[in-house]
Amino acid sequence: MLEVKNLHVEVEGKQILNGIDLNVKPGEMHAIMGLNGSGKSTLSNAITGRENYSVTKGDIIYKNESIVEMEPNERALAGIFMSFQYPTVIPGVNNTYFLRAAVNAKRKYNKQKEYDAASFLKFVKSKLKEVEMDSKYLKRAVNEGFSGGEKKRNEMLQLLCLEPELAIMDETDSGLDIDALKIISKGINNYKNKDRSFLVITHYQRLLKYIEPDVVHVLIDGKIIKSGGKELALELEEKGYSWLES
Amino acid sequence: MNLSDYQNEFDNLISKQSFSAVSQPSRKDTFSKFLDSGLPTRKWEDWRHTDLSFLNKNNFRIPESSDASDGSIDISNYEIPNTFTVIIINGHYLTINSDLPKEITVSTNSNGENWTPKNKKDTPFELLNASLSDSTITITTEPNASIQKPIHILFLCTGNDDLMINPQVNIDISHSSSATIIEQYVSNTSSFFQNTSVFASIEKNASLNHVRIHSNSDQTANISGLHVTQSDDSTYNYFQLVDGGALQRSDIYTNLKGKNATCSLSGLALLDKKQHSATYIISDHIMPNCVSLQNFKSVLNGSASGVFNGRAIVREDSQKTDSKQSNKNLLLSDQALMNSNPQLEIYADDVKCAHGSTTGALDKEALFYMQSRGINKKEATSLLIRGFVSELINDIKNEDVKDYLFEKFDNWLLNNNQ
Repeated sequence: MLEVKNLHVEVEGKQILNGIDLNVKPGEMHAIMGLNGSGKSTLSNAITGRENYSVTKGDIIYKNESIVEMEPNERALAGIFMSFQYPTVIPGVNNTYFLRAAVNAKRKYNKQKEYDAASFLKFVKSKLKEVEMDSKYLKRAVNEGFSGGEKKRNEMLQLLCLEPELAIMDETDSGLDIDALKIISKGINNYKNKDRSFLVITHYQRLLKYIEPDVVHVLIDGKIIKSGGKELALELEEKGYSWLES
Repeated sequence: MNLSDYQNEFDNLISKQSFSAVSQPSRKDTFSKFLDSGLPTRKWEDWRHTDLSFLNKNNFRIPESSDASDGSIDISNYEIPNTFTVIIINGHYLTINSDLPKEITVSTNSNGENWTPKNKKDTPFELLNASLSDSTITITTEPNASIQKPIHILFLCTGNDDLMINPQVNIDISHSSSATIIEQYVSNTSSFFQNTSVFASIEKNASLNHVRIHSNSDQTANISGLHVTQSDDSTYNYFQLVDGGALQRSDIYTNLKGKNATCSLSGLALLDKKQHSATYIISDHIMPNCVSLQNFKSVLNGSASGVFNGRAIVREDSQKTDSKQSNKNLLLSDQALMNSNPQLEIYADDVKCAHGSTTGALDKEALFYMQSRGINKKEATSLLIRGFVSELINDIKNEDVKDYLFEKFDNWLLNNNQ
């Protein structure tokens, strides 16, 4: 599904990732753990194609194709989704309208019939239930006046509507209360299947109480310095990151 | 065109046989005031951002009746459904396309019959208008009448180039009556100068919804003075859309002379190439318990430039005033320029006043967010610009007018997001 090979990434002239290797197979969930500034978000931004994140060496292969030169929307249409750490507020753009534009872009790409306003509403309402979100949030501007938890539910709603094959959850647990955390985790667990992969980026192992990664990677100074099973997360919780730093 | 060219036009106008002698003394007096002041230069504080060289470079003349059209003009692009349309060609009344209800009268006066043009502020363009105006249109409602269908005044400049027209519009909304009036300025000539003065009086408990659309061709100057006087419990809602013309300037003066009056001014400028649009406002609070709002936005592309200069004056007796000013601007190119200057002048102590201004480029974070959901950059850009302007257009109460304005916006966007 996703192969990251010796990835070096520079942001505004500063080298952040120093050779990352990662191989996420269909149906697998990988967790990337690391302290602030270790390069976790840079990795997710490089995979999704954010401007100013330049790949200076190495490659990102998705479904056997390099995606480094692709536009962010082309990567999204190919099935990559990122749940943002800080979802963007877009004043004046209605949440339903935005979501329909996104879903229809995907349907057009898949050569499916685009939704009209009425059929889309029916579609989105069924997804709302899964994230226990009030339909009033559909009427607002995108993320405007949403609490931290509501923003993350809105990200989850978008994920459920767009049905990606590779979902990157960037610090999804930050700013969530325990109830919202459980709902999001349930959403992730229900969504995961043998064809869908997850890359979960997190600082703490709090989220990992509710979802079970197949592989845990520890990122320090832009390099993966240790990989292991889910027990690695527990070890980190106990000992902190310092024991890994040489 | 210099002052002696204006003098020649003035002499020609008043020497016409058809022209009434009644207004001559006052016109001569007004015109000599204009000559004394001259046209503004960029050294004048209120004109320092506006380049008037377009007017100086061209020679304009007052239209003759032979410049008027034979009536075979296609206005289908400018039609707004469910309105009464009054068509003014090259400054002269042509026709009204349907029967007006008896509670509203639209009368016109041309060739300076027994009528003296108004002048309120003695600014150069108003003095010019009051000296050279040879046509006026007056709209009056009867007391207690509620006129549902908007009156759409279509100022169309067509046929010959380099015409200069100076119409006056009088709007009298009698007590407890209500109406919607749309002024629209369009042209299909290459060069043209229109200098309009509008005087609106809104009596006790009356309400006026006023929409102005400037969609002139690229080589036109459109300058207008708007004077609004409001009595007790009256409501005035104004919206202007500027999406055409080389040079467009609005000077808006609203006098809140009655208690409990509400005055809401808003506008949207959609500019590209070298277009310039300037809006200067003075909302004058004279009596207590009034509300005044100024909410203006611009989207500037190419090397377009704009000015928002909104002032609210809250005088000593106007306690409990609620005044808000907001100006937001979106720059789509590095060469576009906006001058924004909201001002408050407060002499009363128990008032609520706020103002704010922002100018910036499209939000890159928002663009990436949308792209990361599969929306291409062009569509994401459209969604963002539409999101920026829709708040203003959505406030328009009449659905047909709202649809028409969105249609105009969509057309503009089509040419400016490629």
